Amino acid sequence: MLLLSSGGVFAQKTEGVVHYEYQINWIKMMKKLPFLTQEEKDRMENTWKNDPDPKQKMNLYFNEKETLYTWGQDQQEYEDENWKSRNRELIIHRNFETEKRTDMLEILGKTYLVQDSLKHIEWKVMNQIKEVAGYICMKAVAEDKVKGQKITAWFTGDIPISGGPEQVYGLPGMILELDADDGTVMAIATSVEFKEVDKELTLPKLKGKKVNNQEFDAVISKYINDSIKMQRNPYWAIRY
Amino acid sequence: MKKAITITRAMVCLFLLTCGAAFAQNPARISVKGIVIDSSNTTLPSATIMLLTPKDSALVSYGRTETDGQFEIKGVKRGTYLLKISYMGYLPYQQEFTPSEGAVTDLGKIQLKPIMKELYEVVVRTAKAPLSIKGDTVEYNAASFKVPPGSTVEDLLRKLPGMSVDQDGNIKAQGQDVKRVTVDGKQFFGGDTKMATKNLSAEAIKKVQVFNDKTEQAKATGIDDGKKEKTMNLELKDEFKKGGFGKVTAGIGDKERMEVKGNYNKFDQKNQFSLIGLGNNTNQVGMGFDDFQDFRGSQSFNWNDNADFGFGGGGRYFYFGGDEGDEDLSIPIGGGRGQGLTDSYAAGLNYNYDTKKNKLSSSYYFNGKNQILDALSSRQNFLNNNASFNTTNNDYTRNQSYNHRVSFRLEKMVDSLNTFTFVGNGKLSKGNTRYDGLQQFFTGNSELSNQTTINNRTGFSSSAAALTGIYRHKFKKKGRIFAASGGYNFTNSDGDATQVSLNEFYKITSTNDLLRNINQFNSTLSNRNQLKASLLYVEPFGKKFSSETFYNFSTRNSIVDRNVKNNESNLQIDSLTRYFENTISYNRVGTSLRYNYKGINISAGVAGQQFSLRGNFTQPKKPETIVDQKYFAWLANLQGSLDLKNNRYMWFGYEPNVSEPSIKDLQPVVDNSNPLYIREGNPDLLPQVDHNFNVGGNYYNPGSFMSIYFGMNYNYHVNQIIYNQNIDSKTFKTTTKPMNITGGDNVGTYFGLGFPLKKTKATMNLNGNINASKNLTYINDVLNNTNNLSYYAGLRLDLTPSDKFTFYGNANFGITNTKYSINTAQNQTIYNHRFGAEMNVKFPKDFYFNSRINYNVFINERFGFNQRQPIWNASVYKQIGKSKKTEIRLTANDILNRNLNISQFANQNYYSESRTETLARYFMLSFTYNMRGVKDQMRRSGGGW
Repeated sequence: MLLLSSGGVFAQKTEGVVHYEYQINWIKMMKKLPFLTQEEKDRMENTWKNDPDPKQKMNLYFNEKETLYTWGQDQQEYEDENWKSRNRELIIHRNFETEKRTDMLEILGKTYLVQDSLKHIEWKVMNQIKEVAGYICMKAVAEDKVKGQKITAWFTGDIPISGGPEQVYGLPGMILELDADDGTVMAIATSVEFKEVDKELTLPKLKGKKVNNQEFDAVISKYINDSIKMQRNPYWAIRY
Repeated sequence: MKKAITITRAMVCLFLLTCGAAFAQNPARISVKGIVIDSSNTTLPSATIMLLTPKDSALVSYGRTETDGQFEIKGVKRGTYLLKISYMGYLPYQQEFTPSEGAVTDLGKIQLKPIMKELYEVVVRTAKAPLSIKGDTVEYNAASFKVPPGSTVEDLLRKLPGMSVDQDGNIKAQGQDVKRVTVDGKQFFGGDTKMATKNLSAEAIKKVQVFNDKTEQAKATGIDDGKKEKTMNLELKDEFKKGGFGKVTAGIGDKERMEVKGNYNKFDQKNQFSLIGLGNNTNQVGMGFDDFQDFRGSQSFNWNDNADFGFGGGGRYFYFGGDEGDEDLSIPIGGGRGQGLTDSYAAGLNYNYDTKKNKLSSSYYFNGKNQILDALSSRQNFLNNNASFNTTNNDYTRNQSYNHRVSFRLEKMVDSLNTFTFVGNGKLSKGNTRYDGLQQFFTGNSELSNQTTINNRTGFSSSAAALTGIYRHKFKKKGRIFAASGGYNFTNSDGDATQVSLNEFYKITSTNDLLRNINQFNSTLSNRNQLKASLLYVEPFGKKFSSETFYNFSTRNSIVDRNVKNNESNLQIDSLTRYFENTISYNRVGTSLRYNYKGINISAGVAGQQFSLRGNFTQPKKPETIVDQKYFAWLANLQGSLDLKNNRYMWFGYEPNVSEPSIKDLQPVVDNSNPLYIREGNPDLLPQVDHNFNVGGNYYNPGSFMSIYFGMNYNYHVNQIIYNQNIDSKTFKTTTKPMNITGGDNVGTYFGLGFPLKKTKATMNLNGNINASKNLTYINDVLNNTNNLSYYAGLRLDLTPSDKFTFYGNANFGITNTKYSINTAQNQTIYNHRFGAEMNVKFPKDFYFNSRINYNVFINERFGFNQRQPIWNASVYKQIGKSKKTEIRLTANDILNRNLNISQFANQNYYSESRTETLARYFMLSFTYNMRGVKDQMRRSGGGW
């Protein structure tokens, strides 16, 4: 029996950046659509199973008080292709001291600016551990009632920041892996760097349609409902 | 390190609320404290402390230990909690407690146990598998342990920490015998533990779970004897859960109409095997698109199979089967409705094997067709000086053809940088045609001038294959790519024809010319071979720029050996017999510079293109003719696209296309096989260059479900190859000769707009386009300029008010104005309007009704043509059973019996219309069984994924 402590364990590191890879498994996403028959789902899976889903590089800057989640590169470049695409507006800022959220999101053909208090996420902490990016993480689950998603987060107590990628936070440590709906969307940390990130944490000039939590949730849930009724996939136009 | 306690909002709230209360000794709020140590009594600082509800593990509050290992969580509601402590290198600790009397509950010293290094390293780090911990015992789920392919579960277990398998296959976990092995929670073959572990493939396993379970006896009796035995569960990978689906439809109708089709598909993650078959005499040619996807699976679409690199060579190409052409090697899909009366039958099988590194696919497809085409057509031909003549045709055609197609494709990823793709397609065809026709020529004042009776019989057999190999190499430097391809295509065909025709000329004074009979037999052997090679090199310059340089080479050799003899005298007809051989070679080198950054993608390039055409023609008793032409052209290329904010896209481009003249047009030989239509070649032809310009944009607002698109195309023809006509004013004998002409063009604009009238219930789509074209031809040495101007507007309304009723309506209006420069009296306007309405109703007990009317209007006032054609189809169907796997359907096609298959065409110097006898009213009763359940057709599938 040995202790598996590295030299850094006792020194708390509370400022830096987590690099994530964000990936949508669109076959799983499509399988959620209630208006497709099993035959149509099988057909799509068989047809497209060899097409890799592109990975997006994302960064989460953090210190003890706040986190800022945004793109990890200034445009999207896909591994095997010469395809590049523009980054949509995406800034997710969490201030744990003032308990404020500031989200600037280009979704539904518009840029929304969500400014409100932090919503409380009801987490359940489970009995599994695994390693993500060199950190032992515990499993926690929650439910996103607006998008109807099952959220699984793997967090590490070794980075004592209650932040996380995308829209998740509020655990006793940094969330290094996010899994929505059994692998439909994954954000997995690839590495963590400890460094000064004051500059990166500063919010840029914000623009967009100002909404609060309630209004924003209403926009999303109405869009999902309408799209399902119109037999269209709603999940492309919102950040799943 | 005093700042180690991080407090959530929830806790702050609780804390603030209860601060005052705590001092007032209110027992409703408590503090929980303790000290965390390891097995050697050393205190553990910064350990994570969590309080969860015991019922569902909901996180209530959390904190951290101080440097001295002490923790205190303040101000939580009095109640039973689950205390959970995590610390790196230690097993998460868990303890349920009920608070003691008073405001503070001291849990004292809490000792954490280290994680076994072996377990940690192997399970968590190497296998990247989550480790489950329940209380004091560890259940671990292990996956992805590297074992050689073909290993059994037993081999896998030997690799797991804390697990041992003896020579007889007995398993021990943490020193205890494993008494039971289950697969996905179920007993595997009568409870023999070795059955599963010795027989199942390690590759099929996702997780191995070992845990203590009640004994079988305790389970059976329901009395917990407290004994636990080690149980192992093997969880299978999802992909090893196999799938299969299939469906069959059979229908029978009046007028001996029948149709049968079916497919079956069996697959797992790596393999897919599918079968398809169809047969009908209801003009359904080829399989539908969905059926094609089911049949070909992962091979339905192949990116990057284009071996002819060119401008935009770094992008992706989308390749799939096209129309059924003579040389088309891919499987015909979406053939739609055949013309005339067509019997079709087809059968095929396909196998795909897909892994990350190797993708292999092969298929065989057979299809055959019997077609009856009885057509009545008329054509008005305009000469200069406002003169014209008419022809009418009565054609009876019987076609039979059979095709066998095979395909093979292998994509091998050698490593992450190198990929080989090999594609081979082949086809064997056989067919014959009987054509009997009467062609009559009338002068402008409707006098019969001459007539031709034709009775032709032709037969052919052909074989064709296309083989392509592509190698792609990615360099270590991101974005640098090299690709090379090579290809070999061949077509061999052997055709025989008996041509019998009787030509009668009524306007000829010389008795010699009055009657001309043709009775000949010809056989044509043709052979074509093509070799191709291409290279591509992509070099990135920084983040924003890259260059794409390509080279293409192709050489195509064709040999045609045609023998014509007189059927009566059995002598060779020298004037029609010929042998020719030609080689067309092609070289192109080009390069382009691309700027691609933040949604702006613009490339500009230039290429030099060289053609050489060499050919020799031999006719009996005549000297050999040789064609030797070389052409060179510089071609510029510009492409751009802008991905703007909020779903707005714009694009523009300029692209020239160069097409070489066909050898048939170049050969300096007179083809008089049709005595009324003589073709001459022109060895001086230059390649045609088309300059294409396009610009367009679109916008989509998902929030309001509104979409807009618009665009414009312009095409200018330089050295367009046109066929000049000389028409004998007495015999109407036409002689054509190809020639280059510059100045023809066409321009088109289009737009579309879609928006909901009422979200989810009613959607409106509007679209329209305007096209103008200028076509030039010489007729009897006078330049004729035909201008077509057409307008089109369409409107579509989708009503989807409920699950029980849907309506789809459309109205399309089309107007074409044709103006002739030398025969202005023939200027005309054609109106072609189409209206459609579809209704779906769902009745109780899974009965459905579908009705669809298409109403087509053709008006050509110049010829007094006014045709209104309603086609009405309706069906009633019922889905049977709870799982709705069966459907019975009664269909009435063309209830009004008005399907006449009319087509009209006006161009250059003629106007034509034709009617083909086709399938009209019939009724059909059909039965469908679908293993996956039938789908109703209430909603048009909108591709909404």
